[in-house]
Amino acid sequence: MPSWISPIIAPFIVLNVVIGLVTYVTLLERKFAARMQSRIGPYRVGPHGLLQPIADAVKLMMKEDVVPTLADRHVFNLAPIVFLIPCMLIFATIPFAPGLGVADLNIGILFFLAVSSMEIVGLFMAGWGSNNKYALLSAMRAVNQIISYDLPFIFSALVPVMLAGSLKLSDIAAAQSGMWFIFYPVIGQLAFIAFVVSTLAAENRVPFDILEAESELVAGFRVEYSGMKFALIQLGEYAHIIGSSFLGALLFLGAWAGPGPEWMGPIWFLLKALFLFLVVTWIRWSFVRIRVDQILALSWKVLLPLTLALLVATSIVVVWRQSAGI
Amino acid sequence: MRSTNGTEVGALLWAVLTALRVTFVNLFRKPVTVHYPDVTRKYPDRYRGLLALVYEKDTGEEACIGCRLCEYVCPPAVIKVEMLKSEKRNYAKTFTLELYACEFCELCVQVCPTDAIVMTRSFDMPTTDRRDMLLDKDRLHAVGLQHQPSWATGNLLRDMQGPPKLARAEAHAKKEEEVKTGGPA
Repeated sequence: MPSWISPIIAPFIVLNVVIGLVTYVTLLERKFAARMQSRIGPYRVGPHGLLQPIADAVKLMMKEDVVPTLADRHVFNLAPIVFLIPCMLIFATIPFAPGLGVADLNIGILFFLAVSSMEIVGLFMAGWGSNNKYALLSAMRAVNQIISYDLPFIFSALVPVMLAGSLKLSDIAAAQSGMWFIFYPVIGQLAFIAFVVSTLAAENRVPFDILEAESELVAGFRVEYSGMKFALIQLGEYAHIIGSSFLGALLFLGAWAGPGPEWMGPIWFLLKALFLFLVVTWIRWSFVRIRVDQILALSWKVLLPLTLALLVATSIVVVWRQSAGI
Repeated sequence: MRSTNGTEVGALLWAVLTALRVTFVNLFRKPVTVHYPDVTRKYPDRYRGLLALVYEKDTGEEACIGCRLCEYVCPPAVIKVEMLKSEKRNYAKTFTLELYACEFCELCVQVCPTDAIVMTRSFDMPTTDRRDMLLDKDRLHAVGLQHQPSWATGNLLRDMQGPPKLARAEAHAKKEEEVKTGGPA
């Protein structure tokens, strides 16, 4: 096989797998949420509602595509794509098994963090282009929140980077073959909690969902979108959540480490990512939305000092480990 | 230690963990959903469902005498009755009920002197056309044959709720007389 084929085939495969995964993850979330409320969830389409995501997709494709008269048409039409691309790009650097990934960059985690913050551009374009007060308010809140939570997110992700001594995601995963970083005494658990909280905020999930607070802003920045554009935005949002779950599983839960033969690696990785996704869903259905000032206070007054102190502690541990020769 | 908004951090953490525990416990409970068209729940004895006209049990004649009491009492005025005078007894010439505006208050059942109109233990009349909900006399009789009637009828309700009837008052007086004289006469 010539060497130029893999860079063409690999993104294609990853993209399709991710889209399929994201489609079915919505069903998983709906079933899980329903059980938490003693309901059943989707049940009628296919056995136990297994065909529900496909029915949803078909429904969204057949919907009328409405563009508001006063909307900025070009920005409005471009926004879902600008939103979707970074959310899909974050899968580029994730190695699903040793040597199995699109591009194992040596600054992989930096690429991930940079690209995942770029979705805010598409989000703000959607809010601005809609020419709708709810959408605009929501987009401004989103920018505010994502900027506030990027720092704790990056700092908590840097703890495993320092422990592993590399920015390359496959190196970080390989460094956990002995012990997963979540089991690292004190530092690991605290960093994991900070990571989960700041990913929740970066994904705009409950309890940090002020940007689509239903009672105030209807549906937030996507209020004017319908049909396939709405589907693209939803796809991007869930892809971002799944991508962050994969990153969390890779940074803290040992990526593809697990019992069984080597080909079980990607399955373990997927299971760990889905576990993280379910934790996020669990949190979503347990809490109410918190206020804007509380969200910002949590970021700047609690998470930022905590993660900074964690970074200092981690660097002390790393230096001590080197000098002790462990 | 206090958080930024003055709440104890310990209490906050406890609240967070409690919320997580509640949803986690719920996850393993049996869902309460009833798959409605496949499984129907048993309705209570006095269920206020679809309205129906019934036939008299002993003679098999229609029980409605067209007295229009239900038409007078109906708060949203959805019942329209015309009386048909006859020799032995009267009948309803027409009896229409606009179910789409009915508020299911059961007042028509409570005033009916002949127990002709009752409520059934069912709400099973889905339709896509509003005109299907305009029930005439024939359809009301059909509903009465289709579904099980609720416990409540006009006479039963009046016996239960109204002031004592003459017979009951006489029995009561007789009993008191017995107590006064000491033993049955």
